[in-house]
Amino acid sequence: MTGRMVRAFAVLAVLLMLSATAVTAPVKVLHLLTALDPNEAKIYIGAFEKSTGAKVEWVRMSAGECLARLRAESRNPQFSVWFGGPSSEYVPAGQAGVLEPFRPEGSDFLSPQQRDANWNWVGFYFGALGFACNTDWFAKNNVVFPASWQDLLKPQLKGQISFAYPYTSGTAYTLLATMVQLLGEEKGLDYMKRLDANVHHYNTSGSACVTQAGLGEIAVGIAFSHDVMAKGTAKGYPVKLTVPSEGTGYEIGAMAVVRGGPEPDLAKQFITWALSTECQDLMQEWFRIPLNPKAKVAPGAVGPDQVKLIPYDDVWAGQNQARLIDKWREMTDK
Amino acid sequence: MATAQTKAGHLRARRVPLIVREPAVAITIILIASALAVFVVYPLYMVLRTSLTTDGRLSLAIFRGLFSKSYNRRPLANSLKLGLVVSTVGTAAGFIFAYSTTRVDVPLRGFFRLVATFPMISPPLIMSLAAILLFGNNGLITRQILRGAVDFKIYGFRGLALVETLAYFPTAYLVLSGVLQAIDPSIEDAALDLGASWWQMFRTVTLPLAVPGLAGALLLIFIESLADFGNPIILAGNYTVLATQAYLRITGLYDLSGGAALAVILLIPSLIAFFLQKYWVGRKSYVTVTGKPSAATTRRDEPWLRWGAFALCLALTGMILLLYGTVFIGSFVTLWGANYKLTLANYNHVFRVGWHHIRDTIFLSTVSTPITGILGMIIAFLVVRKQFPGRRALELASMLTFAIPGTVVGIGYILAFNQPPLVLTGTAAIIIILFVFRNMPTGIQSGIAALQQIDPSIEEASCDLGADSAATFGKITLPLIAPAFFSGLVYSFVKCVTAISAIVFVVSARWKLITVAVMGSVENSDLAQAAAFCVVIIAIILAAIGIINLLVYPPWKARASRRAATAGTEGGPGAIPPSAVGGQ
Repeated sequence: MTGRMVRAFAVLAVLLMLSATAVTAPVKVLHLLTALDPNEAKIYIGAFEKSTGAKVEWVRMSAGECLARLRAESRNPQFSVWFGGPSSEYVPAGQAGVLEPFRPEGSDFLSPQQRDANWNWVGFYFGALGFACNTDWFAKNNVVFPASWQDLLKPQLKGQISFAYPYTSGTAYTLLATMVQLLGEEKGLDYMKRLDANVHHYNTSGSACVTQAGLGEIAVGIAFSHDVMAKGTAKGYPVKLTVPSEGTGYEIGAMAVVRGGPEPDLAKQFITWALSTECQDLMQEWFRIPLNPKAKVAPGAVGPDQVKLIPYDDVWAGQNQARLIDKWREMTDK
Repeated sequence: MATAQTKAGHLRARRVPLIVREPAVAITIILIASALAVFVVYPLYMVLRTSLTTDGRLSLAIFRGLFSKSYNRRPLANSLKLGLVVSTVGTAAGFIFAYSTTRVDVPLRGFFRLVATFPMISPPLIMSLAAILLFGNNGLITRQILRGAVDFKIYGFRGLALVETLAYFPTAYLVLSGVLQAIDPSIEDAALDLGASWWQMFRTVTLPLAVPGLAGALLLIFIESLADFGNPIILAGNYTVLATQAYLRITGLYDLSGGAALAVILLIPSLIAFFLQKYWVGRKSYVTVTGKPSAATTRRDEPWLRWGAFALCLALTGMILLLYGTVFIGSFVTLWGANYKLTLANYNHVFRVGWHHIRDTIFLSTVSTPITGILGMIIAFLVVRKQFPGRRALELASMLTFAIPGTVVGIGYILAFNQPPLVLTGTAAIIIILFVFRNMPTGIQSGIAALQQIDPSIEEASCDLGADSAATFGKITLPLIAPAFFSGLVYSFVKCVTAISAIVFVVSARWKLITVAVMGSVENSDLAQAAAFCVVIIAIILAAIGIINLLVYPPWKARASRRAATAGTEGGPGAIPPSAVGGQ
């Protein structure tokens, strides 16, 4: 019985192996790690494959997980490109030596804030923090939409807010760093503690709270405005985007060549392409603000001109990440 | 005189080393031991070393640092409380289900049996998804049916206990139905014939005979609950547990040593459970398969028992069906909670973006499942039947990957196999190896439980008639423990297709798994897409179970064994081919 079974499994395995190899044609393959939502990542990756004929093998993880993965693999990197996620997450990666400096051709439009001083990483989009509000809940409970950070502390919103853990999500860490930069360290952390009293739960992924706000699981999610638009409003959820009047933090979405990755040339080609209008135009679909000034911007997308911004220092944020998160955890006991 | 001679002969045989007496067995043991050392102990050693090293020196500083924070202490208590509740309730539910479907003439047995496998054939976290879709703040039942009259408070201990019990009781059901089938019903009949009531018979015959299985099930569920990651990450709210905290520490804070230390703390209760089971259960004898052919199972048909069991099974089944029905329907819904229009868009996404994941998952699982199953049975056989130095160490090592939270196994693999001498990251091999060593323990556990019930004299008879150890194992032992082997294979395949936490670290762009895609969808709260992925996973697993069933109980074999096997784990001793037991 066992003999026959082993044989049957062997045949099955060989067949599957053949079918797997038959699909793999000898084309150039790029191994890419992304922190973008898979529904979004597939837009750009598909376009790159179409435009260059190369094939992209990709894996999606939260930004924090991407960094953990790259660090753990640093002696034998499996990926050539890290694509997407706030630049503050790329700062510690550059310090850890897992990124390869690269200055893409035609990237002159990047301002010094939109790239690393040593070209460890370059930015490719802009996104400001905002609030995803469930319109049904606000109408039913007769509460006005939050228009400031202070509004989020209202007792009516107790147990009605969600966002992510600052230690897993680039979005949530941007929020923590924003409050510290806006109010100063002591007051900023104190604000986060008072905000915690109104939080229903924390997620691992930054944009998850948008869907939760859409579903009515919570009333307000704190996330990047493009995620609020793309995953909330544009999808048909009863979600309205508002932005805080005191000024808000933002991310420069970054990408980088992984040091020692298997396909350095293709990686550089991808990053150069991602700054071209061909790719940057596609960001309309996700309401991101492209950094290339020639690229088209989706109507309704929140650009740097439509919202009051704080002078957000991503390098400082990246350098102080471990310390601030530790303080936040002690304060909130999360 | 003759007795004395035999005894002397036995004693002499004892003194001859295994390597001379049975070289094939000795070589097998050495090979397995080396594999376990490299793929189980070494990664764990790397994790321990990382958690105990500060600035290149051995130190407890990391543990001291962790325990100084209350947000690191509380999860331990939370995990233990949850594990105890879930394992107790889950084992009880699994036993009721197993007893009802194997011993009682309950209507709709096949249906119950089928539904009980549902929670096994999907990622456990889908339970939490369904719970939120139904009982969340804006869930279908909370909002549409009860109009917000009841707050179920499913985020936290209550929700977790519910979904984990439903997700893990089938483990107990599988283990216990294998065990109950192996209890010779003629012993129960004898008790009844001697005037015992059903309750007396159940309490003094069936229950004691099922103790190894019950303890095994309790242990398995306890460890599963401790290591569960998918449900707490979605449903825990502010009820933090160790597995997620260890995971978040590693993946979120890049703190390998802190995460490893939390996992070491999580490992301790698992090991205590393991040793408790060994020393508490291991002493008694549970031999009921004696080699004498016995009649087919007589099912109890007292009305109170029949309908009582039916009601319990129906309640449990109803809950499962409700949750799974929600997921199934949810996979066709445009936007749950906002737009209930039916659509195929989610499946379009699954097959367009997820095709690579689906293909790789099927391939990797198909390769690793038979290896896992056979290796597991060989180890169970060696541990129960053979005496050799380091036997207990071998058993412990083979159980270890199960007791360690997946995240730590994953990190251990990356630490251990990303640098010479053994560079495996990015290959299919690392995933297959991880699957094999991680999924083997359940097969071993049920194999041991089944073997403890089989009289070794059957195997001795085979050896006396001239068969060597390999032939005896293949021709006698394996058919006898077929139900355990079957559940080992099924469990292994299911775990391959549904594993998350360990796998996240060893998947590569070349080799992807569906669960990673599900995780992405869940993390981003794309619940309908996650539901569609889960439906596809369930379809794959159902097909695989069908195939495994055909291979383990081939239809071209004797009709008696076929009939016993057609509905999965049905049977009683009929599942043991009479030819193997009574023949020759």
